[in-house]
Amino acid sequence: MSEIEKNINETELTKSQLAIWTGQQMAPDAPLYNTVYTFDIKNKLDVRVFRSAFQYLVKGTDILRTVFNTKNTIPYQIVLPNFNFNLELVDFTNGFNKSEYYKWVELRSQAKLNLAKCPFDSALIKVNENRFVWFLNIHHIITDAISTTLLHEKMFEYYSNLKNGDENNIDDLPSFEDYITFENKQSNDIQNHLKQEYWKVKIDKSYTLPKLYGNENKYLKTASERITLGLGLDRSKRIKELSKNMAVRSLTPRLTIFNLFATLLFTYVHRISNQNKITIGATAHNRVSQLFQKTPGLFIEIFPLLIKLEDQDTFLSVLQRTKMETSDYLRNGQPGMASADISRGFNVILNYMTSKFALIEDFPMTSEWIHAGHNDPAHHLRCHIYDFDSTGSLEIHLDFNTAVFDKELRYLAPKHFLCLIDAMLDDINQHITSASIITKEERNELLTGDVISTNSKASVIAQFESQLVENPEKIAIRFKNQKLTYSEINNKTNQLANYLAKQGVSKGDIVAIHLERSTNYITSVLAALKLGTTFVPISSEQPKERVQYILQDSNCKALISNTVILRKLESKKINLINLDDSAEDIENQTTTYISQASELDSIAYVIYTSGSTGKPKGVMISNASLANYINWSKGYYAHKDSYVFPLCTSIGFDLTITATFLPLVTGGELIIYTESSIGPDISILQVIEDNLVNSIKLTPSHLALIKDSDFSSSKLKLIIVGGEDFKSSLANSIQDSVGDDLKIFNEYGPTEATVGCIVSRYNSDLHIETSVPIGIPIKNMSAYVLDSYHNLVPKGVIGELYLSGTGLAKGYARNTKLSNERFLVNPFQQNAKMYRTGDLVRFNESDELEYLGRVDEQVKLNGFRIELSDIEANLNQHPNINNAAVVLMDSEKKAESKDIINCKECGLPSSYPNIDFDDNNVCHLCNSFKGYKEKTDKYFKTEEDLIQLLTSNKNDNRKYDCLTLLSGGKDSTYVLARLIDMGLNVLTFTLDNGYISDQAKANITRITEKLGVDHIYGATPHMNKIFVDSLHRHKNVCNGCFKTIYTLSTKVALENNIPFVVTGLSRGQFFETRLTEELFWDEDADGTTIDDTILEARKLYHQEEDAVKNHLDTSMFSLDSTFNKVQYVDFYRYSNVSLTEMLIFLKEKADWVRPTDTGRSTNCLINQAGIHVHKKERGYSNYSFPYSWDVRLGHKNRDEALEEINEHIDEDEVHRMLDEIGYKKSDLDNNKKQLIGFYTSKEIIPSVDLKLHLAKHLPEYMFPSKYKHLKEMPLTKNGKIDKIALRTLSDIQLESDVVYVAPTNEIEELVESIWKEVLQMDRIGIHDNFISLGGHSLAAIRVTARINDELQTNFALNKIFELPTIQEYAVYIESQLMELLQQ
Amino acid sequence: MNKIILDYISNELTNEQLEDPLESGDDLLGSGILDSMGMMKLILFIENEFEIKVPPEDMVIENFMTVGHIITYLENKTV
Repeated sequence: MSEIEKNINETELTKSQLAIWTGQQMAPDAPLYNTVYTFDIKNKLDVRVFRSAFQYLVKGTDILRTVFNTKNTIPYQIVLPNFNFNLELVDFTNGFNKSEYYKWVELRSQAKLNLAKCPFDSALIKVNENRFVWFLNIHHIITDAISTTLLHEKMFEYYSNLKNGDENNIDDLPSFEDYITFENKQSNDIQNHLKQEYWKVKIDKSYTLPKLYGNENKYLKTASERITLGLGLDRSKRIKELSKNMAVRSLTPRLTIFNLFATLLFTYVHRISNQNKITIGATAHNRVSQLFQKTPGLFIEIFPLLIKLEDQDTFLSVLQRTKMETSDYLRNGQPGMASADISRGFNVILNYMTSKFALIEDFPMTSEWIHAGHNDPAHHLRCHIYDFDSTGSLEIHLDFNTAVFDKELRYLAPKHFLCLIDAMLDDINQHITSASIITKEERNELLTGDVISTNSKASVIAQFESQLVENPEKIAIRFKNQKLTYSEINNKTNQLANYLAKQGVSKGDIVAIHLERSTNYITSVLAALKLGTTFVPISSEQPKERVQYILQDSNCKALISNTVILRKLESKKINLINLDDSAEDIENQTTTYISQASELDSIAYVIYTSGSTGKPKGVMISNASLANYINWSKGYYAHKDSYVFPLCTSIGFDLTITATFLPLVTGGELIIYTESSIGPDISILQVIEDNLVNSIKLTPSHLALIKDSDFSSSKLKLIIVGGEDFKSSLANSIQDSVGDDLKIFNEYGPTEATVGCIVSRYNSDLHIETSVPIGIPIKNMSAYVLDSYHNLVPKGVIGELYLSGTGLAKGYARNTKLSNERFLVNPFQQNAKMYRTGDLVRFNESDELEYLGRVDEQVKLNGFRIELSDIEANLNQHPNINNAAVVLMDSEKKAESKDIINCKECGLPSSYPNIDFDDNNVCHLCNSFKGYKEKTDKYFKTEEDLIQLLTSNKNDNRKYDCLTLLSGGKDSTYVLARLIDMGLNVLTFTLDNGYISDQAKANITRITEKLGVDHIYGATPHMNKIFVDSLHRHKNVCNGCFKTIYTLSTKVALENNIPFVVTGLSRGQFFETRLTEELFWDEDADGTTIDDTILEARKLYHQEEDAVKNHLDTSMFSLDSTFNKVQYVDFYRYSNVSLTEMLIFLKEKADWVRPTDTGRSTNCLINQAGIHVHKKERGYSNYSFPYSWDVRLGHKNRDEALEEINEHIDEDEVHRMLDEIGYKKSDLDNNKKQLIGFYTSKEIIPSVDLKLHLAKHLPEYMFPSKYKHLKEMPLTKNGKIDKIALRTLSDIQLESDVVYVAPTNEIEELVESIWKEVLQMDRIGIHDNFISLGGHSLAAIRVTARINDELQTNFALNKIFELPTIQEYAVYIESQLMELLQQ
Repeated sequence: MNKIILDYISNELTNEQLEDPLESGDDLLGSGILDSMGMMKLILFIENEFEIKVPPEDMVIENFMTVGHIITYLENKTV
């Protein structure tokens, strides 16, 4: 710039300009916005005229005279009135050298353009007299594709005119200033508010950018490489043909092409990121008027297109959605609507350019768009499509950010994209995932594995026996004080084998081994193998039912066990070998035994693993598979000392196979740590304390337990970790504390592929990601990473892991269906199977497999696919967290299920918690009731008894003998009518809760008038609060209403000196509110003792802190005398009237009419709101239970009960009422899935800290909505985090500050099991509060009765309220028991 | 109606000054008289001018190929 004049307009930048300006500031030296073209002109050119024309072009085009500066950091632009640019002539005529030319172009196009001085560059290259190249490089901030075509055309117009001498005959190009004004007006125009709102909504802040091939641009590098993908005439033609298809075509031919490529790009990004929700940015040309179509300058803006793809999508279905999306995009993507927020929402760009360079007469030329080697770092991939020179062949440029796409990927990715183009052209109706996108070379590379069969012929038992020759007198096993040499252990094994053979066990049989970890366990396993049988290890702490199931399912011939363990088993059908009872017999056997040569193909062991059905499944592992793993590990893990392993993990877990065999086949030593009979198995702590072993195999959770141990003199040389995701932080911490001599290995392998089949050695320098990679397949095993169509996915992309090779199990024992589901035909290898692991993995840059979570742990929340392990890994990085787990709580499971069955006898639905049905579909409540029905009879009495009771202290001073509760319904009306019939003076009481139906009120008026009794309505202004509280506590309105009735009526009774309040509760309701099975357990219990207990419970009931206690006067209930002054009498305890009798009586005596205005059998309108909430929250009607009792007791028949329970609910009306009482419906809708984060740490970490920590690494939608501090992570028997246990914590437990602690002793376990049963919860910590868990008086009765029954004690009911935690109660029990013992 | 639309297209939307005056039978879409942004502008104009709403599923060639088609579409729409 030579001269800068004053008084020039300083103009604001448009939004697009501002975005580019900012981008350039972020990378000041990168030529990321250089827009470079070369025009190869094949004719003579007058250089002088050309240079002159260019000067005219600058003079006549304001954007070429625009420069940029800042004022107070705000950029502005000015258009200089005059500007001289001397077009350089570059002479290549002295021997044109192509490569030199290209080098020149490359260098020159990357030259930095100075926005403050001259944002463009141009030169003329003379190749020879008849060929010139015009080089034009303009900063994107002042130009775009159409702009360049305008400049190009204008340039030649000037040239021709100058050449012809018509200097002043040309119009200048229109000024960009007009657009600046227009754009500014648009973005501030209130009429565009809706459009801006559309984009605001479209930009989902929580959207994660897809990781293309699993990669990110962490350091915001700008370097990119452009790969040109010439589609060629044939493909271009096919695309044009396809675009004529009725189903395919859009409004305009170009829009059709755009939509087709958008579809391809969506699909491609989906395939290379495994992400379903994809956003791509698409450029809009924004030249929305004739004037703007002629104006050079930067017009384009980028707006996002967003689509969700599913595996079942076809190209056509994606296209249809794309069309809809595009139409919204066009409608809202108007000038000035873009924003910085919007442009952060995508990393893939689709740029379909329809502009073409004008054909210039006499100057045939080809244009080339030169890539300056850099792009906006946010754009990981840009896809440009154009046909600048109207060749009929579409050009595709793919700009790859080189940080995201390494050299290999830049070579492969275009091929992948082309595969998809071809797939769509072949058949637009095919699934988007059906075609493979990888190349033959990639396929070959991905399939290379050590699959050549080099199987050892030696079985594991043969290898053990070979140690007898090599190391007969070496110590093989230590157990407690016992030391056994190889020959000793062999002798013992042979004795056992001989004994078993005598018991009829022979080759091919299945032998279950149910023992603690002990020498006996090892000899049993070895004996089983020597006999050529299959062993089924069952750990000692397995629950009885599971053991029974395994014994039955495995079809085992014999069970090897001992006295202590056998005590808890019932099954006597199989051949029991009690090693305690038979010890002498076994020792009397000869110590020689010739092993049966078992075929490698035969099954060595069956291990039962948890199944998704709740029943364990038996995985059958052959001798060949076992040998393959052991042989490989022998060499792979070898260190200079022989192996000394502890046996310290569960024998029922295949991880333990390593320690069981590896030392014994290598002349090493096995130190056995038995499990304690109670509490969690934490032998591992002892192992570390003893410091006797040099090698150890365990889970990460176990490793976390010993993380802080003292390793200063540790002998550990080898740690093999398996079974769970292994976090690098844990590996690092162990490596640090043990030292460099320790080798840590991460071994991956499902039981179905024999112990471990993929392995990596931890390397603290290399393994800096959150988890240690699982590594590469072991010998004779292959791993495939596949998509849902079983296509191999490209390297880096997430897919599901499939395994194949020698280690593959023979399938599941007696479960062909499941075997066929999981063991599929291997499409990559003939006559082979592959096992579907359900694990998500990807290959990292070092070609190691990374574990990324379970397919079924990949949860979907609000449409997002979320890897729980991802969140866990990030939580684990928090400096104060020891271990973390994240689960998705799905309260929707409570929703009413469609396939509910109802008890054949009482109608109770299967959705009722903890209900069991027998084979005849009769519920366990009905069945157990049959056992104590007779005992309940003594509770019920006759009407004579009632008269006697109510008249027992008749007093003339009293106006009323009793107060009766009248709801206007049939039951209470009948009660009233009968009481009158008995000649009693009755005061009737009705709670007007605001929702009594008009007809019910009319009934009340008519009846009380007809019967001539006094009637009063009770009411409280706090009724709605009570309803809401009741809905929160009990998920119904009735509980709150009942309590209000009791409270108000007791007050009335006290004031009027009335000794009895008579209720109309049905017998079914007794069992809901007063009676429990436990009350009838005591043989000697008569009605009085039961009444005493109920009275106790009633006192407690009125002490509960709820809305009734907080809003009504309940002071009288704190006085025992109140309960003496006013007694409650349940009328139907004394009357066994049937429904028909009742209705006849009512018609005759009381003129009672069934209300029709509630639309239901009830007289209360809000009742149905309670039922609705209860159904939503608990999955069944709150009437199900009392009605089932009415049926059980013969007061209703099943059909009547079911009909009433299934009455229609008017949801609109319910919502209206819920609004009215102030119940937030969101509470109801909130019944959704949510993520819960659990962690262990020394102290509770504030949730906000955890949130801030996660915010650094994760999008917001992955944040757990709640965090729960645990003292210890619950572990499964196998030492993995017990996620089922975590998932079963209730909302209340999650909300409370109480730290979950599992029971620590037998008494706590007992109390816990009783609480769980009574409170119908799956998990209760020992510090959880009984009352907070919803334990009320009835539950107290049940819990106390059960504890008393179990321990033969006589604890008082109120103890549980005094000592409301399991821990406190257990301490009390212990002290009481001690006292008893001392007596 | 015909004239309003024809004028709007001719004066506001076309890429080039048309050689012949635009007629209601001229192909707007295939010939390149309008591109997709132009078409969308026309739709927004029509929506504003005639107080109707054109849902995405109506945005098909059959309804917008020529001004004649547009008129037919609008007539059916307002019936």
